[in-house]
Amino acid sequence: MRVFKPQEAQPAPEETMGVAAWIRANLFSNVPNSIATIVILGLLASVLPGLIDWLFIQANWSGNTQADCTNDNGACWVFVSAWMQQFLYGSYPTEELWRVNTGLVALILVIAAPYALPKHLRNTVGVPLFLAYPFICAALLDGRLFGLEFVSTDYWGGFSLNIFLAAASIIIAFPLSFLWALGRRSDMPFIRSVCVVLIEFFRGVPVLALFFMGSVMLPLFFPEGTNVDKLLRVWIVLILFMSGYMAEVFRGGFQAIPQGQYEAADSLGLSYWQKTLLIIFPQVIKVSMPNILATFIMLFKNTTFLLIIGIFELLSTTQTALTNSNWLGGHAPEGYIFVAVVFWVCCFGMSMISANIEKKLDTSHRN
Amino acid sequence: MLKFSSLVAAGLAVGLSFGANAGTLEDVKKRGMLSCGVSTGLAGFSQKDEKGEWSGLDVDVCKAVAAAVLGDASKVQYKPLTAKERFTALQSGEIDILSRNTTWTHTRDTSLGLNFAGVNYYDGQGFMVSKKLGVKSALELDGAAACIQAGTTTELNLADYFRANGMKYTAVTFDTSDQTRAGFESGRCDVLTSDQSQLYAIRIGLKDPDSAMVLPEVISKEPLGPVVRQGDDEWFNIAKWSLVAMIEAEFLGVDSANAADMKDNGKPAQKRLLGTEGDAGEKLGLSADWAYNIVSQVGNYGESFERNVGMGSPLKIARGINEQWNKGGFLYSPPIR
Amino acid sequence: MSEEIRAKASSAGSMLNNPRVRAILYQALLLFGLGYFFYSIVSNALNNMEARGIKSGFDFLFTASGFDILMTLVPYSATSTYGMTFVVGLLNTILVSIVGIFFATVLGFLIGVAYFSNNWLIKRLSVVYVETFRNIPLLLQVFFWYFAVLASLPSARESLSLGEVIFLNVRGLYLPDLVGGAGSSIVYGSIVVAIAAIVFLKKWAKKRQDDTGEQFPVALTSLGILLGLPLITLFIMGVPFTWDFPELKGFNFRGGITVIPELMALTIALSVYTGAFIAEAVRAGVQSVPHGQTEAARSIGLRENRIMSLIIVPQAMRVIVPLLNSEYQSLVKNSTLATAIGYPDLFTVFVGTSLNQTGQAIEIVFMTMAVYFVINMTISFLMNRFNASVALVERK
Repeated sequence: MRVFKPQEAQPAPEETMGVAAWIRANLFSNVPNSIATIVILGLLASVLPGLIDWLFIQANWSGNTQADCTNDNGACWVFVSAWMQQFLYGSYPTEELWRVNTGLVALILVIAAPYALPKHLRNTVGVPLFLAYPFICAALLDGRLFGLEFVSTDYWGGFSLNIFLAAASIIIAFPLSFLWALGRRSDMPFIRSVCVVLIEFFRGVPVLALFFMGSVMLPLFFPEGTNVDKLLRVWIVLILFMSGYMAEVFRGGFQAIPQGQYEAADSLGLSYWQKTLLIIFPQVIKVSMPNILATFIMLFKNTTFLLIIGIFELLSTTQTALTNSNWLGGHAPEGYIFVAVVFWVCCFGMSMISANIEKKLDTSHRN
Repeated sequence: MLKFSSLVAAGLAVGLSFGANAGTLEDVKKRGMLSCGVSTGLAGFSQKDEKGEWSGLDVDVCKAVAAAVLGDASKVQYKPLTAKERFTALQSGEIDILSRNTTWTHTRDTSLGLNFAGVNYYDGQGFMVSKKLGVKSALELDGAAACIQAGTTTELNLADYFRANGMKYTAVTFDTSDQTRAGFESGRCDVLTSDQSQLYAIRIGLKDPDSAMVLPEVISKEPLGPVVRQGDDEWFNIAKWSLVAMIEAEFLGVDSANAADMKDNGKPAQKRLLGTEGDAGEKLGLSADWAYNIVSQVGNYGESFERNVGMGSPLKIARGINEQWNKGGFLYSPPIR
Repeated sequence: MSEEIRAKASSAGSMLNNPRVRAILYQALLLFGLGYFFYSIVSNALNNMEARGIKSGFDFLFTASGFDILMTLVPYSATSTYGMTFVVGLLNTILVSIVGIFFATVLGFLIGVAYFSNNWLIKRLSVVYVETFRNIPLLLQVFFWYFAVLASLPSARESLSLGEVIFLNVRGLYLPDLVGGAGSSIVYGSIVVAIAAIVFLKKWAKKRQDDTGEQFPVALTSLGILLGLPLITLFIMGVPFTWDFPELKGFNFRGGITVIPELMALTIALSVYTGAFIAEAVRAGVQSVPHGQTEAARSIGLRENRIMSLIIVPQAMRVIVPLLNSEYQSLVKNSTLATAIGYPDLFTVFVGTSLNQTGQAIEIVFMTMAVYFVINMTISFLMNRFNASVALVERK
């Protein structure tokens, strides 16, 4: 009897493509491609060496004052290092800087907490901590509530302010925008229209106009004799702005939740809030995560616009440094490059995280 | 939930404060701090250094008032303000005094509920051109492109001047002095116009300061000075006389170095200023050594000028009209007696 | 349900459990809260404005502004009113938005398609472009193009020129202007007629193809009409046009059209920044079309270029268009950064200079917000209509 004998499985053919073959296939596969490759390489060759030379090789690295920048053919990084504390922390008193650092570390912990904590602690500890963070952190930086030395918001500044403002805004925007998104889906016509107007208003108006609203218009709305701190006003504006965008993100999230989830929750006899908070909300957050991060990146970049209303975040601190009479004479490229690199690293990092989450989500939803 | 709402309340309390309407002097004394509105960054007038310390001619007015009221020039809370916010901040009580290169004008003095406490710098709008251009007078600028540092009156003065002389121009407006300088330096415009004080700061910031010159024409009057709220005469007097004390001290030859000595061994006028004779301080509701504190901690007007904008600073602005009256300037302080 | 329970349910005690009653209650509460909120801020604002000597109302729109504006599309001088300032700023905003949207779209599509290039270097560049420009704050990019790139152009006397007709220097780009004489309006009219004819032709050709299956060379004929008709009228009218060339006179170039560097820098920054986001959208759109579609199209014998235009692009557009909508809106909103480099858009001249002069914050900020809101609603409306035309028509 003849029995079918399958052949032994063979290994995949070895990679036969050498370097030359790879170059030919990927860079010079046809005439237009070859031309494009040569043009691009030519451009890179003409720009990069000079740039590297100015940025690194001829750059001035050490010293404390403008006079230490002796080589005019290179960047003056002394400017950045001398102003580093201002760039990062603003005018916050040096001996109190631990408070800013504690706040930054706490931010990381608070974000990680909902993931790292065991399940039964998540809702009772993790989430409340997350929501309370902006207030605790503001009180810590301010100091009065904890009996520490009082540091007025006029002294807060630098890149840490960009981070704090963006983080504190999105955290408060979470519950607020979720309410707005729920309101937009509501059957109650008045509530629905109020939410629609709120969302569309804060999405449709330039953030710069909102900042101006916070800086010159809001003070007129408070009762006579009341002062509301400028930073607090800006924070309020940022929260509202962010809520408009997040509400739209959540609306997208709601639409991605299958109707069966609602029906299943209803059939279990859950109340509206039980259904919304326990069944729907976690799923909405999960599917919306990449978009939430994208919105956050936008908010984070937009904090630089605060320059225009005179808040000492990183970019406006840089501009202040440029107008200081001891540093006059064109350190703008160094300053702006520093700011660009700092923001690029943060935003690129976050978009990588976002892409990762998206990939994970993608597989988990595939049948 | 209770915890959360108490935190919210605490957060609000941090940000909210109620400007009391009693007396500004009482408030400042109770707070132990003077809240002073300054510019967000203006070379020589109010600028922050890499340590976060404020300095400048306008800042010295804040320091002088703090020294007079609290006896310590460092007890100042600086509130950096943009041009748009400054009056609102003063009116709402967020700041006690505004010292932010503010021009004393009729409208501001009469209808905004403000009082100008004097003049700490006589300024005027001028022009700076590149020497290459070969222009000697602003009247030769027909058809030029002008870089303007956005201000409240700069654009209006320029438009008036060109219109009055039947000339045409293109206005390129920038937000900050650094941007204006960069625009001028790149050749975006032929002429840069701003207050004279700023022209010098901008000129010194050029890569080659000698390539540019300031034209002789001054097209506007800009008396800059500290501002307080209307309706609090006690505080208005303190602001006014703190500034006077700095100017008078220079006139009388009292400076930070010899103040201690003059206090006991000076002439009668010097002794009256420094509080060893007469009761000038008491009449202001301050201690007798109010002016002594100003002069010893901040210095007299001349010292402040030299240190911040004059020859002792990178700006190297000449005293010019900001000199004592007996030396050809406008500074003529009322006597302290 | 028994009568007993029904009676209980309708008793006053459980009124609050009735969803309709509760809905009315919630909404009444909200209405009351909002009413009180608006009442208090309006009365506070009125009090504060009176105490601070700030005028209110819109009278300022009819008073002379007293300042000049760098670039105006309509006649304007220092004696014009604030109302005119508003119009000038609005037109400048619309100009930069339209030009910016155009270039951002072109750039975005080019970079997005470049991602699918079989040249490794081009593909990498596409990725580097997207990741660089979308992760750096736009304000910095505006500064970069204006203060670093355009400011390093040569001075007026050493302008770069193209055939002594087009000049580029640090003061801007100078182009020759086409000045129409008598009869030029008829030529412009003929262009409109040509476009109308093309739209009609397209409809007719589609109908004919649907009915008979015969194809009509629409693209070629359209091109013929678009070029031919205006050219014929041009010669019939005896070429009623002259060129106005820019010339160096005194300090600056005179004549022709001037594109100021502020406009260039802002347009470049907006296009490059938004282009990066549009490239992302295009990439996502093309990737969303399953490869099977291409294979299926090949198997029924479509040519490669027809596959792209008939199969891939229409399907990708469904993903791309909604994303374009929001990118266009953010471009318009971001155009307010003009204020950082002094391009006289609505924000700069109105919220900037006019607010400085008049101090009427509430009126000015609200007017400005309303304008941007209306522009964005318009974009949204147009894009939604466009979206409806590319959306999947499902079988009923």
